[in-house]
Amino acid sequence: MMPLAIAVPADVAELRAAIVSSMNPVRFLAGGTDMLIAGRALPEAGLLIDITRVADMAFISTDGSDICIGAATTVATVASHPGLRARLPALCNAAAQCGSVQIRNRATIGGNIANAAPAADLMPVLTVAGALLRLIGRDGMQSEILLGDYTPAHGLITDVILPGAGLLRRSAFVKLGPREDLAISRLNLALLADFQNGCFGAVRIAAGALSHAPLILSFAEAALSGRKLEAAVLRDFLSTLAAEVDAAIPGRNSQLYKRRAIAGLGLDLIAQALGLSPRDRLFEEAVE
Amino acid sequence: MKVSLTVNGSAIETEILPLLRLSGFLRDVLGLTGLKEGCCEGECGACTVLLDQKPVNSCLMLAFQAQGHEILTIEGLGKADITGLQQAFLDVGAVQCGYCTPGMVLAAEGLLRANPCPDEGEIRHGLAGNICRCTGFETIVQAVFSESAVRQGMGR
Repeated sequence: MMPLAIAVPADVAELRAAIVSSMNPVRFLAGGTDMLIAGRALPEAGLLIDITRVADMAFISTDGSDICIGAATTVATVASHPGLRARLPALCNAAAQCGSVQIRNRATIGGNIANAAPAADLMPVLTVAGALLRLIGRDGMQSEILLGDYTPAHGLITDVILPGAGLLRRSAFVKLGPREDLAISRLNLALLADFQNGCFGAVRIAAGALSHAPLILSFAEAALSGRKLEAAVLRDFLSTLAAEVDAAIPGRNSQLYKRRAIAGLGLDLIAQALGLSPRDRLFEEAVE
Repeated sequence: MKVSLTVNGSAIETEILPLLRLSGFLRDVLGLTGLKEGCCEGECGACTVLLDQKPVNSCLMLAFQAQGHEILTIEGLGKADITGLQQAFLDVGAVQCGYCTPGMVLAAEGLLRANPCPDEGEIRHGLAGNICRCTGFETIVQAVFSESAVRQGMGR
């Protein structure tokens, strides 16, 4: 096997050429914040492609109907982008809670997806937003795939597309970790919803760190969809959240605390989405 | 492979191994041993340097990725004398064993360059990637507050 070769393509054409022309295994490197962790094997042969210098792979476009984010966009950029915050604040909130300042300055949205950590903070938001991934395959061909269907075998992620039709007006992201900052989520929740005249319309909810990939909580969605915001509805919602945990991780050591913790997270989720205080009397009534 | 970058204001061009981490390059090749490779997984922040003014973990970046960038280590922060931020750390006793201090100071410097007037929550959030096991963080937060006031002309 040939020793490790490095490629640093400047644009997508060079990137595609590097992928297609390599006869050896190809690995990709972006921020490196997951790949370079001590103890993880680094490639000793084949081709390592650094994608951080590829023009047009680090951008956020929110002007069109769809939101489009280049895969090499840093998590710090996602967290602080005003146009994105105006349309999908939950994604900015999730990004702002990823790792530390140092991590966010290097880590990328594409890396957060490809690393496939069950607790990845961006993933539940991207899931409820119905994200599509634009890819370059090993044959150099471009394709698109649903986020939930993606594995790294499909190819390199070049863009993350959030279809405009799937973006609802309210969004929220909350997480529970062992400490306030620089915490890997023990549990996280993302929500997109329509809400008018005191009633929920469509609702989409996903949880991270309950399965190998984000879990869509369809019973919790049904507990809110089309219903009025009131204590009785929230009680139903909290019951379904606990049931979702029971169904997802039966018998796991973490089941007991997660089925309780998800209640607090669930109310925080609603409060954030609707711009209410988590100490609002409504929430106190819901847990009485 | 060849890499060209600027470290502490000096242009450097040299041959490196492809998988050499930036932390290893700075410490073992350039002899800049102020930064420490504590955990090598982005938890401790002892390896923090500024990359184009922004704090990064130099242990989680390959040296060749710094091509064309500007790196600032603790040795370059105050070349002739210590800076006001470093003096603030000394004044309030924010240094004990000193292992975390270079990374902590550079994380604080990066925070103040991005946000000259941080509140306490912003300081704690901005320094969350740096672990100190001696001071309990209170004096570190005080030091950053103090330096922030000085930079805004409000004295120490």
